[in-house]
Amino acid sequence: MSWLDRDRTIAPPGFNRWLIPPAALAVHLCIGQAYATSVYKTALVAHFDASLVQVGVIFSIAIVMLGLSAAIMGTWVDTNGPRKAMFVAALFWSGGFLIGSLGIFSNQLWLVYVGYGFIGGIGLGIGYISPVSTLIKWFPDRPGLATGMAIMGFGGGALIASPVSTALLGFYDPNSGAANWVASGDSVGKLFLTLAVIYLAYMMFGAFTIKVPAADWVPAGFDASKVRVKALVTSNHVSAKNAIRTRQFWLLWVVLFCNVTAGIGILEQAAPMIQDFFRQSDGNSLVSAAVAGGFVGLLSLANMGGRFAWSATSDKTGRKNIYMVYLGVGTVLYVLLALVGSSTTALYVVLAFIIISFYGGGFATAPAYLRDLFGTFQVGAIHGRLLTAWSAAGIAGPLIVNSFLDAQGAPGALTAAAYQPALLTMVGLLVVGFVANLFVRPVHTDFHEPEKPLVGAQAKKAHA
Amino acid sequence: MKVLKVILAWALVGIPLAFGISQTLAKVTALFG
Repeated sequence: MSWLDRDRTIAPPGFNRWLIPPAALAVHLCIGQAYATSVYKTALVAHFDASLVQVGVIFSIAIVMLGLSAAIMGTWVDTNGPRKAMFVAALFWSGGFLIGSLGIFSNQLWLVYVGYGFIGGIGLGIGYISPVSTLIKWFPDRPGLATGMAIMGFGGGALIASPVSTALLGFYDPNSGAANWVASGDSVGKLFLTLAVIYLAYMMFGAFTIKVPAADWVPAGFDASKVRVKALVTSNHVSAKNAIRTRQFWLLWVVLFCNVTAGIGILEQAAPMIQDFFRQSDGNSLVSAAVAGGFVGLLSLANMGGRFAWSATSDKTGRKNIYMVYLGVGTVLYVLLALVGSSTTALYVVLAFIIISFYGGGFATAPAYLRDLFGTFQVGAIHGRLLTAWSAAGIAGPLIVNSFLDAQGAPGALTAAAYQPALLTMVGLLVVGFVANLFVRPVHTDFHEPEKPLVGAQAKKAHA
Repeated sequence: MKVLKVILAWALVGIPLAFGISQTLAKVTALFG
């Protein structure tokens, strides 16, 4: 596999760096499918004769594995380079679909847990971090824009996978025209097989397109010495091992955890929440289930757009300032949502749209923030470790919201007031995140690498 | 040739993404419009 090594992927002089974002996007658009599992969730419940919770475990395992594999494999990704990482991610991600389809065809739910959840989840984690440090190195002048473009793909993947999966399920199921149709297990199995092939091809395109810049490469017209010195942007480097010993890493962990927990709280509950907010005294909601579905689509666009727009904006404002906006303005918007969100649907939709755009922005800006604080040496590995905050938030966010709602009454009978305790708890979390961000200072020189960091084979030897 | 390669690469990811966005927007517009 030496042909996949970092040293074999160094770009020749004159290589166009604008080939790198589509290579990264190819991977993120594929793994973003993880957010489109709801398309076949009901079909799997019927096929396995299982509960929603039992089928939901497939997604939960995948997200936990995403965080774990990103944290554990981060250093390996940085050392071996993006091509090998993307190649391995493609094998795991499409292998997960193949084994998952086997589980569906043989009616073995545990095999879907192992396939899509465990193996696919590893592909998710490696795939998510694989292009990040490479993008940052190719775009030293606009790191926020570069990582925003890639991580936007993770949000956009579901927008593609959702309609394509629905169409394929209809194509594979001869009963798709029937009233109250639920896709057969057989059609979901065939969908998994098809997605395995498509995603393998797309991710391989990414793997074989991506290249790393030569050590002395800089963009034309870019002079690092002329860039205005910013207190929080270091020109030194910190290893992943040292980074997790710094206060800055854990402050950022808290920032990401709070931002994601607050966003997931709304995202996970989006469809029933908008209906409950506009429930009338007769128990009926002004918002139909169909409109609620459209609202979920709108939030997906906010999530994706926020990743690109806010991360790109952070190149101008600075990373610390943009997180002040995500968390500070986010706090105000959450308070408004809790107290006056039920006054008009337009206000509710606008507030939720901006909040979710901040949620996406928080994800996409994190790698550039890490690069500012810790340099580029092992930024991918540090990012991988930071993503454990996402896994933790994925558990905490729904738990907070569902616990409060369970105490307020039965689903389908809740009103806007029932959401206030949960939303105000999220306000508290955002304040904690805001304060944590305030405390972020430059990393102490004790943690800096003593000399110019090694890359590729040199780094591999050094770590051996 | 280099520019063509860049255009092709962006088309490979841009077309599916534009499809996904347009499908979602159509759904949103139909429901809110």
